[in-house]
Amino acid sequence: MILTVARKEFREIIRDGRIKWSALILAVMLVAALATAAQRYADISAERASAQEVVNMQFAAQGEKNPHAAAHYGLYAFKPVTPLSFFDTGVGSYTGVSVWLEAHKQNDAEGEPARDATAIARFGELTAAFTLQMLLPLLVILLAFPSFAGEREAGTLRQVLSMQVAPVQLLFGKALGAAAALSVFIGPILLLGLIGLMLTPGGLAYLGHGVVLVAVYMIYALIFLFLTLAVSANVRTAQAALVVMVGFWAVSSFVLPRAASDVSRLLYPTPSAVSFQANIDEALQSGLDGVSPDTVVQQRQKQTLALYKAETVEELPINFQGMIFDLQEKLGNEVFDKFYGDLYAIFDQQTGLHQAFSIGSPRMATQLASMELSGTSLNQHLEFTGQAESYRRELIEGMNRDITFNSAAGQADYRADSALWASIDPFAYQPAPLGALLTRLGPSFMVMFLWLALSIVAGVLAVRKVKVTLG
Amino acid sequence: MKGFKSVFVQEWVILKHNSTWWAILGLLLVLTVLAALNGSARTNQMADMGAGLNQGELQTQTALQSAVARWEANPEGDPPSVASPGALGLSVLSHYTVLPPTQLAALSIGQTDVQPTYYKVTAHPALTFLNEAEIQNPLNVLAGSFDVAFVIVFLLPIFIVALTFDLMSKEKERGVLSLVLAHGVSKTAFIIAKGAARALLIFMLLLLVGVAAVLLTEPDISSGAMWARFGLWFLIVSLYAFFWFALALFVNSLNKPSVTNGVILANLWLVFVVVIPALVNVAATTLFPAPSRVELTTEMREATEIADQESAESREAFFFDHPKMVGGDANADQFFLQVLATDSAIERAVVPLMEEFDAQAQRRQDVVDLLQYVSPAIMAQNALNAVSGTGTERFTDFVGQVLAFHENWRGFFTSRIIKGSRMSAAEFDEIPTYAYQAVTMGSILRSTLNPAAGLAFFVLILGVWSARRYARYPAV
Repeated sequence: MILTVARKEFREIIRDGRIKWSALILAVMLVAALATAAQRYADISAERASAQEVVNMQFAAQGEKNPHAAAHYGLYAFKPVTPLSFFDTGVGSYTGVSVWLEAHKQNDAEGEPARDATAIARFGELTAAFTLQMLLPLLVILLAFPSFAGEREAGTLRQVLSMQVAPVQLLFGKALGAAAALSVFIGPILLLGLIGLMLTPGGLAYLGHGVVLVAVYMIYALIFLFLTLAVSANVRTAQAALVVMVGFWAVSSFVLPRAASDVSRLLYPTPSAVSFQANIDEALQSGLDGVSPDTVVQQRQKQTLALYKAETVEELPINFQGMIFDLQEKLGNEVFDKFYGDLYAIFDQQTGLHQAFSIGSPRMATQLASMELSGTSLNQHLEFTGQAESYRRELIEGMNRDITFNSAAGQADYRADSALWASIDPFAYQPAPLGALLTRLGPSFMVMFLWLALSIVAGVLAVRKVKVTLG
Repeated sequence: MKGFKSVFVQEWVILKHNSTWWAILGLLLVLTVLAALNGSARTNQMADMGAGLNQGELQTQTALQSAVARWEANPEGDPPSVASPGALGLSVLSHYTVLPPTQLAALSIGQTDVQPTYYKVTAHPALTFLNEAEIQNPLNVLAGSFDVAFVIVFLLPIFIVALTFDLMSKEKERGVLSLVLAHGVSKTAFIIAKGAARALLIFMLLLLVGVAAVLLTEPDISSGAMWARFGLWFLIVSLYAFFWFALALFVNSLNKPSVTNGVILANLWLVFVVVIPALVNVAATTLFPAPSRVELTTEMREATEIADQESAESREAFFFDHPKMVGGDANADQFFLQVLATDSAIERAVVPLMEEFDAQAQRRQDVVDLLQYVSPAIMAQNALNAVSGTGTERFTDFVGQVLAFHENWRGFFTSRIIKGSRMSAAEFDEIPTYAYQAVTMGSILRSTLNPAAGLAFFVLILGVWSARRYARYPAV
């Protein structure tokens, strides 16, 4: 029976053509977005990879230098992109793409693409994810809003129910028919997208991500499908069903994300760049716990001299200057860890608020999941900068170790040669594996499943009520 | 326009007793007030921060000045190191240049969360500070702000559509239309009267929330410039609202069932507010892609290395940071001259690239300026940003002022470093200070009246077209 209803619903939707235009808009935008994504991936991945290579070569080809000068010269770490980065650009337009790794200082990522964009980019970037998040629900609404209300107005609902069709069967039949119609429109495009992903160099490794993404968007569509059916069964006219669902879509997709962003700013304000920097500078100068770095260095000097039973640093078997550099670096790192740690804790609170708001918005839950799976979430940006920072610390430590053990005390004209630069392994960002991402997405998945369950229950309750009123 | 007045009055009475209508208006009012409160909180925060920025810098400057003055009064030993223009300009002093929010800034956050509202100007090349950014959670920037402009551009059309999508079709479906026409009321008068009754209410509401929003931000209400901006704001908002009314009237003239009207208008909303802006953006970035920032980074690095190698001494520049390694005998004056040389070598290499960035950005902006006429939503957003002073043009003007000030500031120190002179206490008073020059009313008008004219054109075309269709509209 479900199949009969589904077949009828499917045929009607296809024949009716009421979603012809929205489906066409969605299809065109989706194809355009996927094509630009492929192009941008090809361009930008090549650009970043070659830039990283150039920077690594520049570092290796420094010639003879004091290792500390080399540490000041430093390196850049470029954020690599994955084939899915342009399926959903996520926060990618608003985060920097390169970090300068130099002595004494933890730098922020710079070169946010949004700085080069016009104001119009704020309406939203044309990505497949944006298209699916914004247009797919509207298509589903237009597809399903007259399902019950329209039949009620036409008087056919009474007939169908009198033919011993269980209301629940009717609900799932209609849902199945609508889902089938939907798959006809966008199924092939998503399939082509997955095939395109497989054919992209390095894309195969992200096929799992791609499949989960498709599942996420399917659940997203199903949530709106059952919600629309529930509303359609509940209200008197098709018109009312349309108004209610479009209203819900607009509020949950457009208003709530912005509200979340503003409320999070109010509740958990981030420090201004000026005060953030001033606090770091102050702590670098006078020490986190009030003991100035100079005092710490003097204490260490005393301890070291006592350990080696030496009178002056010149008598030490090592170059004490290297140890001073190392100590200063570690003291600085403690300062950076504290202040960046505090900042990222605020970011976490703000992100948590977005997560809380997503309980009211299937779109926000879907977006959080989509960004995470596409590797363009805030989490993964911070993982990139975190790994770059760890690499910086190892790099600088290596340089200071070379000064300590390979030069003599007071030997300011010490030069290391290219063997030292070449001994440094190039920076390679290790993205979190899919399993870790899925675990991290627990809350978003829970919200989505909750919405799906609630919308199905709402649908079932609504169609049951239809029967009662018809008595 | 036979029967206009009676229909209009009747419509008022009906609307007055329609609870859905009041609920929708109430919701719009609440959303706008929340947006205004939010906008004013953001703007006040920004203004407070901007106001305090230079205090620390000026205190430092005064303290250094008195140190030099003390030494001048009693010159014993070497002059204090801060008497060196190199130490002052290249490492100690800086000056914040702030873009103050306009009096209507709270109504549109615009680009202020992406573009800096202040720069820390130093005597180093401008490229060293132009890339500084305010700390932001990128997730928040991505979501955008809930400001009044958002309510107007995104939500107001939905409210208008919800109130007007069945304006004519419903009357027809209920059989009211033929009854009314039988009384000799003209079709055009009927539809205009119904539309006007709703429009009047919405406009009164918009005026109310507009004034409320402005007052919530506590501006100087005696300022003529503020009210001029507000007049422009109301003009844009009215034209944009008119556009959606006209569009709904037009769709009603197609003589389709109410439900179909609703579907068509929902699709048109999507096309104008979501689809076209995304397509225009992709068109602009594909036609004139931003030059690669990544390439800029590597170029800059190469230039730095070459500049360093050109001057053998400055390869040892870091020893100045760590004078202990060379026994504290670094020649400071020589060092600062080398810093200047390195700075200008990097600048020579990078400035052409930066100019390419600016030129390409300008080309992209030109395309967007042209393509904005395709969508009333883009026109409205651009014009609202311009009225609030949070759009691209005022920002570009600000950067121009910052660069001019930077030239001034930099010139002050570099000329003295090159001469090898010391700073006297009196000379501290000559250190340039920055004062923001507000953009002229003329430039605000230029950037708002063009989109306003575009909106008016849309309204006119839709109006004429609908009028012709209604003349032939079948009553049954």
